Formats: sequence, C-alpha cells, structure tokens
Amino acid sequence: MDKETLLREISHALVEFEVEKVAGLAEEALKQNISAYETITEGLVPGMKEVGRLYEEEEYFLPEVLMCSDAFNAGLDIVNPFLDKSSLDKPIKMVIGVIEGDTHDIGKNLVRILSGASGFEVYDLGRDVTLDRFIEKAEEVESDWIGMSTLMTTTMDGMKTVIDRLKDRNIRDKYKIIIGGGPISQTFCDKIGADLYANDASSAVRKVKELMGRA
Amino acid sequence: MLIREDILSPKERVMALLTGKPLDRIICMPIVTTNTAQLIGRTVKEFQLDGKVMAEAHIASFKKFGYDLIYLFTNCSYVAEAMGAELDYSEGEPANCDVPVINSREDLSKIKVAEKNDGQFPVYYEALEILNKEVGDQVFISVCFSGPVSTAATLRGVEAFARDTYLDPELCHTLLRMATDSCKNFIREIVKFGAMPIILEPIASGSLFSPKMFDKIAFPYIKELVDLAHELKALVPLHICGKTNKIVDKMTDTGADVISLDKCDLAIAREKVAGRALILGNIDPANELLFGPVEEIHRVCIEALDIMKGYTPAFVLSTGCETANKVPFEHIQAMLDVARSHGLNEYKVGE
Repeated sequence: MDKETLLREISHALVEFEVEKVAGLAEEALKQNISAYETITEGLVPGMKEVGRLYEEEEYFLPEVLMCSDAFNAGLDIVNPFLDKSSLDKPIKMVIGVIEGDTHDIGKNLVRILSGASGFEVYDLGRDVTLDRFIEKAEEVESDWIGMSTLMTTTMDGMKTVIDRLKDRNIRDKYKIIIGGGPISQTFCDKIGADLYANDASSAVRKVKELMGRA
Repeated sequence: MLIREDILSPKERVMALLTGKPLDRIICMPIVTTNTAQLIGRTVKEFQLDGKVMAEAHIASFKKFGYDLIYLFTNCSYVAEAMGAELDYSEGEPANCDVPVINSREDLSKIKVAEKNDGQFPVYYEALEILNKEVGDQVFISVCFSGPVSTAATLRGVEAFARDTYLDPELCHTLLRMATDSCKNFIREIVKFGAMPIILEPIASGSLFSPKMFDKIAFPYIKELVDLAHELKALVPLHICGKTNKIVDKMTDTGADVISLDKCDLAIAREKVAGRALILGNIDPANELLFGPVEEIHRVCIEALDIMKGYTPAFVLSTGCETANKVPFEHIQAMLDVARSHGLNEYKVGE
C-alpha cells in the first residue's frame, strides 16, 4: 500500500470506528517509515475532522463519536512515542469544565475529544468545577480559551460569575470565553458577555479555530 | 390582553377535550414539578423524600395557577434507584446518580427489577393519595418517570452505555429489559391511583442517539410501556428532551397519546405526528421562560399557538422541559394568561 492510500485508509477506518484496524494501519505506517507527524496530521486528524462534520450534520451521534475517538486514540498510542514534538504548530490552549453544581458532562467530554483531535491543548477540569478553578487553571497554563458548559438552568449564572471575576481582576481580555450546554443560547451568551456560543461540540471546535485564524 | 376567567375546571376541560366537547379555553399544562416546593418553604430534598410535602407543594401550586395537569416528578434517576443505584441527594437540587452501579457484567448482581415498594416509589403513592383526596375532583394527576433507555443509561453511565450500543449490545438489552420491567411494575401501581403515567426519555434524545439507534434501543421498549398503559386503560404521554425533529414520527409510532416536545420545530411535529396524538410543548424553560420579560413569553406562546392553530386532536401549550427553581412564578403565570386570553371559537366574551 503506498503512503497516500495508507493514510487515507487510516482516516477511513477511523470514521468507520474500526479500532483495531486503525492501530494495525498505524503500525504499518511506522514500518513504512512514514513519520508519526504525517500519520497524525494526514491520517488520524482528517478522520476525526470528518467525524466532527458527520456529528454536526447529525449523521453521527454520541456512540459513534465515542467509538471514533477510541479509534483515534488507538492510532495515536501507536505513533505518539515516535512523534517529533518540535514539528507541531503552537497549539490552541483551552481550559474546559462543567460549572459547579452540575455533573452533566457529555457535551463537555465531546468538546474535549473533538478539540483534542484537532490538535488543541485541552485542560479538562471535569465536572462540578468551582468557578475560581477555571480562572486559576487558565492563568497557570496561559490558556487562550476558557470553555464552560452546563446542562442546568440553576448553574448557568456561574458562567457570568466567572466572566465578572475575570473583569474584576482586569484579565478578561487575556482570554476568549466559549460557553455551551442545553439551556445556553446566543441570547445568554450576549447577555453575559461571553465571546462565543456553540450549540454542539463540533461547531464549538470549528468556531474556535475560525476565530483563531486556524480554520 | 383580555384574561378571561375559566368556566370549566381543569378536569372538566380535559374531559371535554377527550370526548370532543367544546372547551372554554386552550389547554395549558406547564411542567411545574419540584419548583413547587418553594411555594411552601420546603426544600427540593424534602419534596423528593416525603409524599406529604410533595402533595402539599403541588396543591399550593395548583391553587395558584389552575393549570390543567399536575406533574409529580422528583428526579430522572428514581427508577434506577429503585433497581439498586445510589443517588446523591442535595437540599436544593434534584437527586442524581453520580457513580454508575454497573461497571461490568458482574455488577448485574447488584441490581434487580424494581417492584412496588422499592426505592422512593412509595413517596409517590403517598402524594397521590393525598392529592386525589384534596384536588382529584378538579384536576388530572400524572407521574413522570425515566423510561427504559434513560434508566439503563443511568445504571451504566451514559458514555459507557453509548459505547455498549456497539461493543456490548447484549448488556444494553439486558439492562433495558430490566428497566422496562421495573417501569411496568411502577406503571401498574400509579394507574391504580388513577394517575397518568408519563414516560420521560431524556437520554433517548435525538441530541444523543441516531434515529437508527432509537429504533434499536428505545422504540421497542417504550412501545411495551405504552401498550401496558393502554391495557390498563390509561393515557400515556411520551416526553423526550433535547432535539427530536428526526424522531418525532417514531415517538408517535410508539402509540403514545401525547407527544411532549422540547427542542423540536412545531411545524415539523405537526406534519409528522399528523393527528395521531396530542402535541404538547414547547416554550423554552431555559430561555424565554427563565429570562422573560412577560411580553416575550406572551409572544412565543402566541407564536406556538399560531403554528398549531387548528391542529387536531389538540395542541397543549406547555414548556419544553420542567421549569427549574429559578424560573420566576410570574413567568409561569404569563403562559396561563395567554391560555386564558386566547380561547377557542366557542368561547365568546360576555357569555
């Protein structure tokens, strides 16, 4: 199999969430001296990009995205030890989490999966995250973005509190803020002065990249 | 806006609808549940664990608003709890299941099919008994519970359950079978109190699973519950949260009598449900109803009524999901005001 075909096969097997096949093809790529960087950027990442597209178009849903992400990780595990880290672009850094008081984290996890697969450096604080923790972590890792999610009406205001606290500390402009989750809307985003609202994980990643000029 | 006084009681109004008689106004059933606890100064936790508190809160709320259905509901995990899952109760929030009980097939021994008195089921029986006595002559009472998919996913953890749909469908179906049988046992009990069972399936949402997967994991089990309710001569609504544009026809195919919608285009629903069931929905409780202002709530309610104008058997003005504690009561009132001002042809001012 020539290089192009092999990389295309990796993408294809990933989209079909054939976990073992992706791992096998990644091994094959190593044997053929295809660089880890190429396997990732020309095989695995385009595969996940297609998964994101399918998700946004409502062809793929939660189970399919999770399965594809397993295939992505299986491939990544094989080639990662051989990756020349200096070959990578400076990644977009993003701190994400589910607002304190809420433990619904499916949407946030999908953002982690899809942004990670797009080469973001993601710091996932998990769920039920205290509001100051978003700020502390963003400061610590010099993040570009803070992403907050909630499924509950009761915890929505936490997002505003985070933004207000950033303003109080005069560091609001250091970060772009993206918010999402069931009850969140563009109206709410405008109301609290966040930078971006996305109604699904895939468009979240796409919109962040667009705003960073990485589309 | 001219707000007219009701002529019929909520129960008479719903009976009139079901028997094809004229109504005094459109039916309005906002999903008001645990937030009623605030009206009597009790916590959500007390409401969830004490049938007397649940009943008293609902009576206060019913008297305040006069809406057309009482929805008994505590949290999305209480069927799973009755099967063996542990829930975290906090004072001000509905309980939830933080740690799934089923982490492998071996854990199946930790759960069972829920029976009559398991978990917090008896809280509902106590509340139903009081409510039947106090307001049962005026209004119909319903009990909302998580259906098979949402219960199975709670037992297993949603993401693990989602992976299982491909990796271990047999485990999925084992859990779905047990959850279905648990729901059936509960339905049999609540129907004895004359209550209407409402199937909630937040996890079977079109936001999480494909229509194809809905056919496999949701449809047959939900239909089984609908069939049982019908055998027991009960009407049964089906409520699915999140997006439902692509499954609203399948929801209707289950035979459910009321299709209760959240983020669904009403025009699409009207076309797909096509008179086979009542449509209930879908004012956004996290947007207009939360933020208001009242005029905006009036506007979106009237917009929904306009889209559904002339729909038979009927469109029921309601919320897309339960109204949270933070939704101001004036905003719920605003919905009822629309119902009381936008009546039917039979109703004429001055009569």
